[in-house]
Amino acid sequence: MTRSLDEPLVRPFGDTAVLVSFREAIDPAVNDRVHALTRRIRRLAASDDPFGSPVPAYSSVLVPFDPLRVDADEAVDHVRVLASSDDDRTVEGAEPNRTIELPTRYGGDAGPDIDEVAGWAGLTTSDVVELHASVPYRVYMLGFAPGFAYLGRVPAAIATPRRDSPRARVVAGSVGIAGEQTGVYPFESPGGWQLIGRTDAVLWDVRRDPPALLAPGDTVRFVPVKS
Amino acid sequence: MTLEILDGGLLTTIQDAGRPGFGHLGVPEGGAVDPDAFAAANLLLGNSADAAAIEMTLSGPTFRVRNAVTIAIAGGDLGGFVQPRDRRLPPGAAYGLAAGDTVSFPGRVSGGARAYVALPGGVNVAAVLGSRSTCLAGGFGGLEGRPLRRGDTIEAATADTARAELHLPADSVAGSGAPVVRVLPPPAMSDRDDGLLAAFTAAPWSVGPDSDRMGLRLAGPPLAAERRTVVSHGVTWGTIQLPPDGSPIVLLADHQPTGGYPVVAVAIAADRGALGACGPRDRVRFREVTHDEAVTALRERRERLEATSAAVEAAAVAARDEESWLDLSSWAGG
Repeated sequence: MTRSLDEPLVRPFGDTAVLVSFREAIDPAVNDRVHALTRRIRRLAASDDPFGSPVPAYSSVLVPFDPLRVDADEAVDHVRVLASSDDDRTVEGAEPNRTIELPTRYGGDAGPDIDEVAGWAGLTTSDVVELHASVPYRVYMLGFAPGFAYLGRVPAAIATPRRDSPRARVVAGSVGIAGEQTGVYPFESPGGWQLIGRTDAVLWDVRRDPPALLAPGDTVRFVPVKS
Repeated sequence: MTLEILDGGLLTTIQDAGRPGFGHLGVPEGGAVDPDAFAAANLLLGNSADAAAIEMTLSGPTFRVRNAVTIAIAGGDLGGFVQPRDRRLPPGAAYGLAAGDTVSFPGRVSGGARAYVALPGGVNVAAVLGSRSTCLAGGFGGLEGRPLRRGDTIEAATADTARAELHLPADSVAGSGAPVVRVLPPPAMSDRDDGLLAAFTAAPWSVGPDSDRMGLRLAGPPLAAERRTVVSHGVTWGTIQLPPDGSPIVLLADHQPTGGYPVVAVAIAADRGALGACGPRDRVRFREVTHDEAVTALRERRERLEATSAAVEAAAVAARDEESWLDLSSWAGG
Protein backbone atom coordinates (compact mmCIF):
# COMPACT_ATOMS: atom_id res chain seq x y z
CA MET A 1 0.00 0.00 0.00
CA THR A 2 1.31 3.41 -0.87
CA ARG A 3 0.56 6.57 0.97
CA SER A 4 0.97 10.14 0.01
CA LEU A 5 3.97 11.99 1.35
CA ASP A 6 1.69 14.06 3.49
CA GLU A 7 -0.17 11.24 5.15
CA PRO A 8 1.40 10.20 8.44
CA LEU A 9 2.06 6.59 9.39
CA VAL A 10 -0.01 5.67 12.46
CA ARG A 11 0.95 2.46 14.29
CA PRO A 12 0.68 0.92 17.75
CA PHE A 13 3.85 1.32 19.82
CA GLY A 14 3.82 -1.49 22.39
CA ASP A 15 0.53 -2.01 24.21
CA THR A 16 0.18 1.48 25.67
CA ALA A 17 0.84 3.98 22.87
CA VAL A 18 0.26 4.95 19.26
CA LEU A 19 3.12 6.45 17.26
CA VAL A 20 2.28 8.96 14.53
CA SER A 21 5.19 9.44 12.14
CA PHE A 22 5.25 12.19 9.58
CA ARG A 23 7.96 12.34 6.92
CA GLU A 24 11.17 11.57 8.81
CA ALA A 25 12.96 14.88 8.61
CA ILE A 26 14.13 17.81 10.66
CA ASP A 27 11.96 20.31 8.84
CA PRO A 28 9.94 23.27 10.17
CA ALA A 29 6.88 22.42 8.04
CA VAL A 30 6.81 18.82 9.29
CA ASN A 31 7.40 20.00 12.85
CA ASP A 32 4.47 22.44 12.55
CA ARG A 33 2.19 19.51 11.80
CA VAL A 34 3.63 17.62 14.77
CA HIS A 35 2.76 20.39 17.18
CA ALA A 36 -0.65 21.08 15.64
CA LEU A 37 -1.55 17.41 16.13
CA THR A 38 -0.08 17.49 19.64
CA ARG A 39 -2.32 20.42 20.59
CA ARG A 40 -5.35 18.65 19.18
CA ILE A 41 -4.61 15.45 21.08
CA ARG A 42 -3.83 17.37 24.26
CA ARG A 43 -7.27 18.95 24.16
CA LEU A 44 -8.75 15.50 23.69
CA ALA A 45 -6.65 14.08 26.53
CA ALA A 46 -7.75 16.86 28.84
CA SER A 47 -11.32 15.62 28.62
CA ASP A 48 -12.16 12.27 30.15
CA ASP A 49 -10.88 9.86 27.59
CA PRO A 50 -8.39 7.03 27.48
CA PHE A 51 -5.60 9.04 25.86
CA GLY A 52 -2.67 10.43 27.79
CA SER A 53 -0.54 13.50 27.23
CA PRO A 54 1.23 13.26 23.83
CA VAL A 55 5.00 13.44 23.39
CA PRO A 56 5.96 15.42 20.27
CA ALA A 57 9.37 15.05 18.64
CA TYR A 58 10.92 16.34 15.38
CA SER A 59 8.57 14.52 13.04
CA SER A 60 6.42 12.27 15.22
CA VAL A 61 3.94 12.26 18.08
CA LEU A 62 3.69 9.46 20.63
CA VAL A 63 0.17 9.18 22.02
CA PRO A 64 -0.20 7.12 25.20
CA PHE A 65 -3.47 5.33 25.83
CA ASP A 66 -4.91 3.06 28.48
CA PRO A 67 -5.38 -0.38 26.87
CA LEU A 68 -7.92 -1.31 29.53
CA ARG A 69 -10.14 1.56 28.41
CA VAL A 70 -9.75 1.51 24.64
CA ASP A 71 -8.99 -1.22 22.14
CA ALA A 72 -5.66 -0.70 20.34
CA ASP A 73 -7.27 -0.80 16.88
CA GLU A 74 -9.78 1.81 17.95
CA ALA A 75 -7.01 3.94 19.40
CA VAL A 76 -5.05 3.78 16.15
CA ASP A 77 -8.13 4.61 14.08
CA HIS A 78 -9.04 7.50 16.33
CA VAL A 79 -5.55 9.00 16.21
CA ARG A 80 -5.37 8.43 12.45
CA VAL A 81 -8.50 10.51 11.93
CA LEU A 82 -7.06 13.31 14.04
CA ALA A 83 -3.69 13.10 12.29
CA SER A 84 -4.99 13.24 8.74
CA SER A 85 -7.72 15.81 9.18
CA ASP A 86 -7.51 18.92 7.05
CA ASP A 87 -7.06 21.43 9.82
CA ASP A 88 -3.70 19.84 10.56
CA ARG A 89 -1.83 22.89 9.41
CA THR A 90 -3.93 25.43 11.21
CA VAL A 91 -2.39 27.30 14.06
CA GLU A 92 -5.49 27.13 16.21
CA GLY A 93 -4.48 26.98 19.84
CA ALA A 94 -0.87 27.72 19.03
CA GLU A 95 1.13 29.82 21.42
CA PRO A 96 2.07 33.19 19.96
CA ASN A 97 5.53 33.00 18.44
CA ARG A 98 8.04 34.09 21.02
CA THR A 99 11.67 34.97 20.56
CA ILE A 100 13.91 34.24 23.52
CA GLU A 101 17.43 35.59 23.71
CA LEU A 102 20.09 33.60 25.52
CA PRO A 103 23.11 35.72 26.51
CA THR A 104 26.04 33.36 25.96
CA ARG A 105 29.72 33.46 26.86
CA TYR A 106 31.59 31.67 24.09
CA GLY A 107 34.92 29.83 24.32
CA GLY A 108 37.38 29.56 27.19
CA ASP A 109 36.23 27.60 30.22
CA ALA A 110 32.64 28.24 29.16
CA GLY A 111 33.12 26.50 25.79
CA PRO A 112 35.93 23.95 26.03
CA ASP A 113 35.25 22.43 22.59
CA ILE A 114 35.22 25.64 20.59
CA ASP A 115 38.75 25.04 19.27
CA GLU A 116 37.76 21.55 18.16
CA VAL A 117 34.72 22.93 16.35
CA ALA A 118 36.84 25.62 14.73
CA GLY A 119 39.38 22.98 13.68
CA TRP A 120 36.66 20.75 12.24
CA ALA A 121 35.21 23.71 10.35
CA GLY A 122 38.55 25.15 9.24
CA LEU A 123 37.54 28.47 10.77
CA THR A 124 38.66 30.74 13.59
CA THR A 125 36.89 30.59 16.95
CA SER A 126 35.44 34.04 16.37
CA ASP A 127 33.98 32.75 13.08
CA VAL A 128 32.37 29.94 15.04
CA VAL A 129 30.84 32.40 17.51
CA GLU A 130 29.64 34.66 14.74
CA LEU A 131 28.07 31.79 12.78
CA HIS A 132 26.43 30.17 15.80
CA ALA A 133 24.91 33.48 16.88
CA SER A 134 23.99 34.52 13.33
CA VAL A 135 20.78 32.59 12.86
CA PRO A 136 17.47 32.26 14.69
CA TYR A 137 16.86 28.73 15.95
CA ARG A 138 13.57 26.92 16.13
CA VAL A 139 12.63 24.86 19.18
CA TYR A 140 11.71 21.56 17.54
CA MET A 141 11.12 19.51 20.67
CA LEU A 142 12.09 19.04 24.31
CA GLY A 143 13.67 15.83 25.54
CA PHE A 144 16.82 14.29 27.06
CA ALA A 145 16.28 16.09 30.38
CA PRO A 146 13.63 18.40 31.85
CA GLY A 147 13.77 21.66 29.90
CA PHE A 148 16.33 20.51 27.31
CA ALA A 149 15.26 21.97 23.95
CA TYR A 150 16.48 20.63 20.63
CA LEU A 151 17.24 23.68 18.47
CA GLY A 152 17.92 23.81 14.76
CA ARG A 153 19.45 24.27 12.43
CA VAL A 154 23.09 25.04 13.01
CA PRO A 155 24.81 26.57 9.93
CA ALA A 156 26.33 23.69 7.96
CA ALA A 157 29.86 25.11 8.21
CA ILE A 158 29.96 24.47 11.98
CA ALA A 159 27.58 21.48 12.21
CA THR A 160 30.19 19.42 14.04
CA PRO A 161 29.38 15.81 14.97
CA ARG A 162 29.09 14.75 18.63
CA ARG A 163 32.26 14.06 20.58
CA ASP A 164 33.58 10.51 20.15
CA SER A 165 33.30 9.91 23.83
CA PRO A 166 30.71 11.74 25.93
CA ARG A 167 31.74 13.79 28.95
CA ALA A 168 30.73 12.31 32.30
CA ARG A 169 29.92 15.80 33.53
CA VAL A 170 28.67 18.80 31.58
CA VAL A 171 28.09 22.01 33.53
CA ALA A 172 24.53 23.40 33.64
CA GLY A 173 24.00 26.16 31.09
CA SER A 174 26.51 24.70 28.64
CA VAL A 175 25.70 25.41 24.99
CA GLY A 176 26.48 22.52 22.69
CA ILE A 177 26.43 21.50 19.04
CA ALA A 178 25.57 18.04 17.71
CA GLY A 179 25.47 18.13 13.93
CA GLU A 180 22.76 20.54 12.85
CA GLN A 181 21.30 20.60 16.36
CA THR A 182 22.23 22.96 19.15
CA GLY A 183 20.98 23.14 22.71
CA VAL A 184 21.59 24.16 26.31
CA TYR A 185 22.07 21.67 29.15
CA PRO A 186 19.59 22.66 31.89
CA PHE A 187 21.38 20.58 34.55
CA GLU A 188 24.77 19.21 35.22
CA SER A 189 24.65 15.85 33.46
CA PRO A 190 26.65 13.56 31.22
CA GLY A 191 26.68 14.71 27.60
CA GLY A 192 28.32 14.19 24.24
CA TRP A 193 27.68 17.48 22.46
CA GLN A 194 30.51 19.84 21.47
CA LEU A 195 30.50 22.58 24.09
CA ILE A 196 31.12 26.05 22.69
CA GLY A 197 29.70 28.37 25.33
CA ARG A 198 27.59 28.83 28.42
CA THR A 199 24.53 30.86 29.39
CA ASP A 200 23.24 31.94 32.79
CA ALA A 201 19.63 31.60 31.58
CA VAL A 202 17.64 29.19 33.76
CA LEU A 203 16.25 26.60 31.35
CA TRP A 204 14.23 24.78 34.00
CA ASP A 205 12.74 26.03 37.24
CA VAL A 206 10.14 23.81 38.76
CA ARG A 207 8.64 26.78 40.67
CA ARG A 208 7.96 28.56 37.38
CA ASP A 209 4.82 27.91 35.33
CA PRO A 210 5.60 26.46 32.91
CA PRO A 211 8.89 25.26 34.40
CA ALA A 212 10.59 25.03 30.99
CA LEU A 213 11.93 28.34 29.62
CA LEU A 214 11.54 27.14 26.04
CA ALA A 215 8.52 25.64 24.30
CA PRO A 216 8.16 24.02 20.88
CA GLY A 217 7.72 26.63 18.17
CA ASP A 218 9.70 29.28 20.06
CA THR A 219 12.55 31.09 18.33
CA VAL A 220 15.86 31.25 20.16
CA ARG A 221 18.73 33.64 19.54
CA PHE A 222 22.15 33.29 21.13
CA VAL A 223 23.62 36.66 22.01
CA PRO A 224 27.40 36.70 22.57
CA VAL A 225 28.45 38.43 25.81
CA LYS A 226 31.86 39.07 27.31
CA SER A 227 32.92 36.58 29.92
CA MET B 1 5.35 9.80 62.96
CA THR B 2 8.93 10.28 61.90
CA LEU B 3 11.71 8.10 60.62
CA GLU B 4 15.21 9.41 61.08
CA ILE B 5 17.57 8.27 58.33
CA LEU B 6 20.89 7.07 59.74
CA ASP B 7 22.19 5.77 56.43
CA GLY B 8 20.68 6.36 52.98
CA GLY B 9 21.60 3.03 51.42
CA LEU B 10 22.61 2.57 47.81
CA LEU B 11 19.80 4.48 46.07
CA THR B 12 16.77 5.21 48.23
CA THR B 13 14.15 7.59 46.86
CA ILE B 14 10.57 8.64 47.47
CA GLN B 15 8.38 7.37 44.63
CA ASP B 16 4.70 7.22 43.84
CA ALA B 17 2.88 6.08 40.71
CA GLY B 18 4.78 8.60 38.60
CA ARG B 19 4.46 11.89 36.82
CA PRO B 20 2.90 11.25 33.42
CA GLY B 21 1.93 14.19 31.24
CA PHE B 22 5.18 16.17 31.15
CA GLY B 23 7.11 14.18 28.55
CA HIS B 24 6.75 17.12 26.15
CA LEU B 25 8.88 19.17 28.57
CA GLY B 26 11.54 16.45 28.77
CA VAL B 27 10.34 15.16 32.14
CA PRO B 28 10.53 11.39 32.65
CA GLU B 29 7.37 9.56 33.65
CA GLY B 30 9.18 8.32 36.76
CA GLY B 31 7.54 6.63 39.72
CA ALA B 32 8.20 3.27 41.34
CA VAL B 33 10.33 1.12 39.03
CA ASP B 34 8.70 -2.07 40.37
CA PRO B 35 5.04 -0.99 40.34
CA ASP B 36 3.82 -4.39 41.55
CA ALA B 37 5.90 -4.38 44.73
CA PHE B 38 5.13 -0.68 45.25
CA ALA B 39 1.37 -1.26 45.05
CA ALA B 40 1.58 -4.32 47.31
CA ALA B 41 3.40 -2.33 50.02
CA ASN B 42 0.70 0.32 49.99
CA LEU B 43 -2.20 -2.13 49.93
CA LEU B 44 -0.73 -3.96 52.94
CA LEU B 45 -1.23 -0.77 54.95
CA GLY B 46 -4.67 -0.05 53.54
CA ASN B 47 -3.23 2.92 51.62
CA SER B 48 -4.36 3.78 48.14
CA ALA B 49 -2.18 1.74 45.78
CA ASP B 50 -0.40 4.84 44.47
CA ALA B 51 0.57 6.57 47.74
CA ALA B 52 4.19 7.76 47.92
CA ALA B 53 6.55 5.15 49.41
CA ILE B 54 10.26 4.66 49.99
CA GLU B 55 11.97 2.83 47.11
CA MET B 56 15.08 0.87 48.04
CA THR B 57 17.62 -0.51 45.59
CA LEU B 58 19.73 -3.62 46.40
CA SER B 59 20.66 -2.36 49.84
CA GLY B 60 18.29 -0.06 51.64
CA PRO B 61 18.53 2.58 54.33
CA THR B 62 18.96 2.33 58.07
CA PHE B 63 16.44 4.39 60.00
CA ARG B 64 15.42 5.02 63.59
CA VAL B 65 11.74 5.12 64.51
CA ARG B 66 10.80 8.17 66.60
CA ASN B 67 7.16 7.24 67.26
CA ALA B 68 5.45 3.86 67.10
CA VAL B 69 4.27 3.13 63.59
CA THR B 70 3.09 0.35 61.33
CA ILE B 71 5.05 0.01 58.10
CA ALA B 72 4.69 -2.40 55.20
CA ILE B 73 7.50 -3.90 53.16
CA ALA B 74 7.11 -5.47 49.72
CA GLY B 75 9.38 -6.45 46.84
CA GLY B 76 12.71 -8.24 47.05
CA ASP B 77 14.11 -9.38 50.39
CA LEU B 78 16.84 -6.85 51.13
CA GLY B 79 17.67 -8.50 54.44
CA GLY B 80 15.49 -6.17 56.53
CA PHE B 81 15.69 -6.51 60.30
CA VAL B 82 14.79 -4.48 63.35
CA GLN B 83 16.93 -3.77 66.41
CA PRO B 84 17.03 -4.11 69.37
CA ARG B 85 14.85 -7.21 69.01
CA ASP B 86 16.94 -8.49 66.13
CA ARG B 87 13.85 -9.61 64.31
CA ARG B 88 13.93 -10.25 60.56
CA LEU B 89 11.47 -8.27 58.45
CA PRO B 90 10.90 -10.23 55.25
CA PRO B 91 8.89 -8.52 52.49
CA GLY B 92 5.20 -9.06 51.85
CA ALA B 93 4.09 -8.01 55.32
CA ALA B 94 3.07 -5.13 57.56
CA TYR B 95 4.96 -4.72 60.84
CA GLY B 96 4.44 -2.71 63.98
CA LEU B 97 7.50 -0.78 65.09
CA ALA B 98 8.10 0.87 68.45
CA ALA B 99 9.70 4.21 69.20
CA GLY B 100 13.45 3.78 69.32
CA ASP B 101 13.52 0.78 66.97
CA THR B 102 16.22 0.83 64.30
CA VAL B 103 15.47 -0.82 60.97
CA SER B 104 18.16 -1.81 58.47
CA PHE B 105 18.20 -3.34 54.98
CA PRO B 106 21.81 -4.50 54.62
CA GLY B 107 21.49 -6.10 51.19
CA ARG B 108 19.62 -8.30 48.78
CA VAL B 109 19.01 -11.82 50.07
CA SER B 110 16.51 -13.12 47.51
CA GLY B 111 13.80 -11.96 45.13
CA GLY B 112 13.76 -8.64 43.34
CA ALA B 113 16.41 -5.93 43.32
CA ARG B 114 13.99 -3.36 44.69
CA ALA B 115 11.75 -3.20 47.71
CA TYR B 116 9.36 -0.60 49.09
CA VAL B 117 8.57 0.65 52.57
CA ALA B 118 5.05 2.06 52.81
CA LEU B 119 3.98 4.39 55.64
CA PRO B 120 0.46 5.16 56.88
CA GLY B 121 -1.21 7.36 54.26
CA GLY B 122 2.03 7.51 52.28
CA VAL B 123 5.19 9.57 52.71
CA ASN B 124 4.45 13.19 53.48
CA VAL B 125 6.26 15.23 50.83
CA ALA B 126 4.85 17.92 48.57
CA ALA B 127 3.53 17.01 45.14
CA VAL B 128 5.51 18.67 42.34
CA LEU B 129 3.95 18.67 38.87
CA GLY B 130 1.27 16.39 40.19
CA SER B 131 3.51 13.73 41.74
CA ARG B 132 5.55 13.02 44.87
CA SER B 133 8.09 10.99 42.90
CA THR B 134 11.74 11.97 43.02
CA CYS B 135 12.90 13.17 39.59
CA LEU B 136 16.65 12.60 39.79
CA ALA B 137 17.30 14.09 36.32
CA GLY B 138 15.55 17.33 37.24
CA GLY B 139 16.42 17.45 40.94
CA PHE B 140 12.84 17.94 42.09
CA GLY B 141 10.04 15.95 43.71
CA GLY B 142 10.34 13.50 46.59
CA LEU B 143 12.75 14.81 49.19
CA GLU B 144 14.57 17.77 47.56
CA GLY B 145 14.78 15.84 44.31
CA ARG B 146 17.54 13.55 45.57
CA PRO B 147 18.17 10.18 47.19
CA LEU B 148 17.74 9.92 50.96
CA ARG B 149 20.83 10.37 53.08
CA ARG B 150 21.92 10.47 56.70
CA GLY B 151 20.19 13.24 58.63
CA ASP B 152 16.95 13.23 56.62
CA THR B 153 13.64 12.79 58.40
CA ILE B 154 10.67 11.12 56.78
CA GLU B 155 7.11 11.77 57.88
CA ALA B 156 4.02 9.68 57.25
CA ALA B 157 1.07 11.48 55.68
CA THR B 158 -1.42 10.34 58.33
CA ALA B 159 -1.25 9.47 61.99
CA ASP B 160 -0.67 5.79 62.55
CA THR B 161 -3.81 3.77 63.05
CA ALA B 162 -2.21 0.62 64.37
CA ARG B 163 -3.13 -2.13 61.96
CA ALA B 164 -2.80 -5.82 62.51
CA GLU B 165 0.42 -7.42 61.45
CA LEU B 166 -0.36 -8.91 58.06
CA HIS B 167 1.39 -11.16 55.63
CA LEU B 168 0.59 -11.47 51.94
CA PRO B 169 -0.01 -15.00 50.71
CA ALA B 170 3.31 -16.32 49.42
CA ASP B 171 2.03 -16.75 45.87
CA SER B 172 1.22 -13.06 45.57
CA VAL B 173 4.76 -12.06 46.44
CA ALA B 174 6.95 -11.41 43.41
CA GLY B 175 9.15 -14.32 42.43
CA SER B 176 12.87 -14.58 41.98
CA GLY B 177 14.97 -12.60 39.56
CA ALA B 178 14.80 -14.95 36.56
CA PRO B 179 11.72 -13.71 34.76
CA VAL B 180 10.47 -14.16 31.24
CA VAL B 181 9.37 -10.72 30.09
CA ARG B 182 6.72 -10.60 27.39
CA VAL B 183 7.28 -8.30 24.42
CA LEU B 184 5.49 -6.99 21.37
CA PRO B 185 7.23 -6.46 18.03
CA PRO B 186 8.55 -2.97 17.28
CA PRO B 187 6.39 -0.64 15.20
CA ALA B 188 8.80 -0.56 12.25
CA MET B 189 8.69 -4.24 11.41
CA SER B 190 10.68 -5.15 8.34
CA ASP B 191 12.14 -8.53 7.33
CA ARG B 192 15.37 -7.50 8.84
CA ASP B 193 13.78 -6.40 12.12
CA ASP B 194 11.93 -9.71 12.24
CA GLY B 195 15.25 -11.56 12.31
CA LEU B 196 16.48 -9.18 14.95
CA LEU B 197 13.44 -9.80 17.16
CA ALA B 198 13.91 -13.57 16.81
CA ALA B 199 17.57 -13.27 17.77
CA PHE B 200 16.64 -11.06 20.73
CA THR B 201 14.00 -13.42 22.11
CA ALA B 202 16.20 -16.49 21.56
CA ALA B 203 19.14 -15.13 23.56
CA PRO B 204 19.62 -15.52 27.30
CA TRP B 205 20.44 -12.09 28.71
CA SER B 206 21.90 -10.94 31.95
CA VAL B 207 21.45 -7.53 33.50
CA GLY B 208 24.50 -5.29 33.30
CA PRO B 209 25.93 -3.57 36.39
CA ASP B 210 25.43 -0.11 34.86
CA SER B 211 21.64 -0.47 34.92
CA ASP B 212 19.67 2.16 36.82
CA ARG B 213 16.20 3.67 37.14
CA MET B 214 16.45 4.84 33.53
CA GLY B 215 17.08 1.45 32.00
CA LEU B 216 18.37 -2.10 32.15
CA ARG B 217 21.48 -2.63 30.10
CA LEU B 218 21.46 -6.19 28.84
CA ALA B 219 24.66 -8.21 28.57
CA GLY B 220 24.96 -11.12 26.18
CA PRO B 221 26.19 -11.87 22.68
CA PRO B 222 25.71 -8.52 20.90
CA LEU B 223 22.95 -8.34 18.31
CA ALA B 224 23.69 -7.15 14.79
CA ALA B 225 22.94 -3.50 15.36
CA GLU B 226 21.69 -1.45 12.48
CA ARG B 227 23.74 1.55 11.54
CA ARG B 228 20.71 3.47 10.33
CA THR B 229 20.03 6.68 12.17
CA VAL B 230 16.57 7.32 13.48
CA VAL B 231 15.13 10.76 14.05
CA SER B 232 14.33 10.81 17.79
CA HIS B 233 10.74 9.95 18.63
CA GLY B 234 8.72 9.43 21.80
CA VAL B 235 9.42 6.16 23.62
CA THR B 236 7.69 4.28 26.42
CA TRP B 237 8.58 2.47 29.63
CA GLY B 238 9.42 -0.99 28.28
CA THR B 239 10.84 0.13 24.94
CA ILE B 240 13.90 -1.98 24.11
CA GLN B 241 16.47 0.02 22.19
CA LEU B 242 19.49 -1.20 20.30
CA PRO B 243 22.48 1.15 20.40
CA PRO B 244 25.30 0.65 17.87
CA ASP B 245 27.24 -1.63 20.25
CA GLY B 246 24.52 -4.30 19.88
CA SER B 247 23.69 -4.51 23.60
CA PRO B 248 19.98 -3.77 24.15
CA ILE B 249 18.68 -1.30 26.72
CA VAL B 250 15.24 -1.82 28.28
CA LEU B 251 13.80 1.57 29.23
CA LEU B 252 12.41 1.83 32.77
CA ALA B 253 10.47 4.46 34.73
CA ASP B 254 13.06 7.26 34.52
CA HIS B 255 13.69 6.86 30.79
CA GLN B 256 14.10 9.97 28.67
CA PRO B 257 10.79 10.77 26.95
CA THR B 258 12.37 10.50 23.48
CA GLY B 259 14.99 8.23 21.97
CA GLY B 260 16.87 7.89 18.73
CA TYR B 261 18.09 4.28 18.73
CA PRO B 262 16.36 1.56 16.68
CA VAL B 263 13.70 -0.32 18.67
CA VAL B 264 14.00 -4.13 18.90
CA ALA B 265 10.79 -4.80 20.83
CA VAL B 266 8.50 -3.26 23.43
CA ALA B 267 7.91 -5.01 26.76
CA ILE B 268 4.25 -5.19 27.76
CA ALA B 269 2.98 -2.92 30.52
CA ALA B 270 1.97 -5.85 32.73
CA ASP B 271 5.64 -6.89 33.00
CA ARG B 272 7.05 -3.58 34.25
CA GLY B 273 7.24 -5.06 37.73
CA ALA B 274 9.26 -8.02 36.50
CA LEU B 275 11.68 -5.64 34.78
CA GLY B 276 11.98 -3.44 37.85
CA ALA B 277 12.77 -6.48 39.98
CA CYS B 278 15.84 -7.22 37.83
CA GLY B 279 19.19 -6.42 39.38
CA PRO B 280 22.80 -6.68 38.23
CA ARG B 281 23.75 -10.17 36.96
CA ASP B 282 20.15 -11.42 37.08
CA ARG B 283 19.18 -13.54 34.13
CA VAL B 284 16.22 -12.45 32.03
CA ARG B 285 14.60 -13.78 28.88
CA PHE B 286 12.07 -12.26 26.51
CA ARG B 287 9.13 -13.88 24.77
CA GLU B 288 7.01 -12.46 21.97
CA VAL B 289 3.26 -12.29 22.61
CA THR B 290 0.26 -10.86 20.80
CA HIS B 291 -1.46 -7.61 21.61
CA ASP B 292 -4.45 -9.52 23.00
CA GLU B 293 -2.20 -11.42 25.38
CA ALA B 294 -0.69 -8.14 26.52
CA VAL B 295 -4.10 -6.69 27.35
CA THR B 296 -5.20 -9.89 29.10
CA ALA B 297 -2.02 -9.80 31.20
CA LEU B 298 -2.70 -6.20 32.17
CA ARG B 299 -6.28 -7.05 33.14
CA GLU B 300 -5.00 -9.97 35.25
CA ARG B 301 -2.54 -7.69 36.97
CA ARG B 302 -5.33 -5.30 37.90
CA GLU B 303 -7.44 -8.19 39.22
CA ARG B 304 -4.46 -9.42 41.26
CA LEU B 305 -4.10 -6.01 42.90
CA GLU B 306 -7.81 -5.87 43.62
CA ALA B 307 -7.64 -9.33 45.19
CA THR B 308 -4.69 -8.30 47.33
CA SER B 309 -6.54 -5.21 48.47
CA ALA B 310 -9.64 -7.28 49.34
CA ALA B 311 -7.56 -9.87 51.21
CA VAL B 312 -5.85 -7.17 53.27
CA GLU B 313 -9.17 -5.55 54.09
CA ALA B 314 -10.69 -8.90 55.09
CA ALA B 315 -7.71 -9.68 57.31
CA ALA B 316 -7.94 -6.27 58.96
CA VAL B 317 -11.63 -6.75 59.65
CA ALA B 318 -11.03 -10.25 61.03
CA ALA B 319 -8.26 -8.94 63.26
CA ARG B 320 -10.55 -6.22 64.55
CA ASP B 321 -13.29 -8.75 65.26
CA GLU B 322 -10.93 -10.94 67.21
CA GLU B 323 -9.63 -7.90 69.05
CA SER B 324 -6.21 -9.11 68.22
CA TRP B 325 -4.75 -5.77 67.27
CA LEU B 326 -1.07 -5.69 67.45
CA ASP B 327 -0.09 -4.40 70.86
CA LEU B 328 2.87 -2.25 70.04
CA SER B 329 4.02 -1.73 73.59
CA SER B 330 4.07 -5.39 74.58
CA TRP B 331 5.64 -6.29 71.27
CA ALA B 332 8.38 -3.77 71.86
CA GLY B 333 9.12 -5.32 75.22
CA GLY B 334 9.22 -8.88 73.86
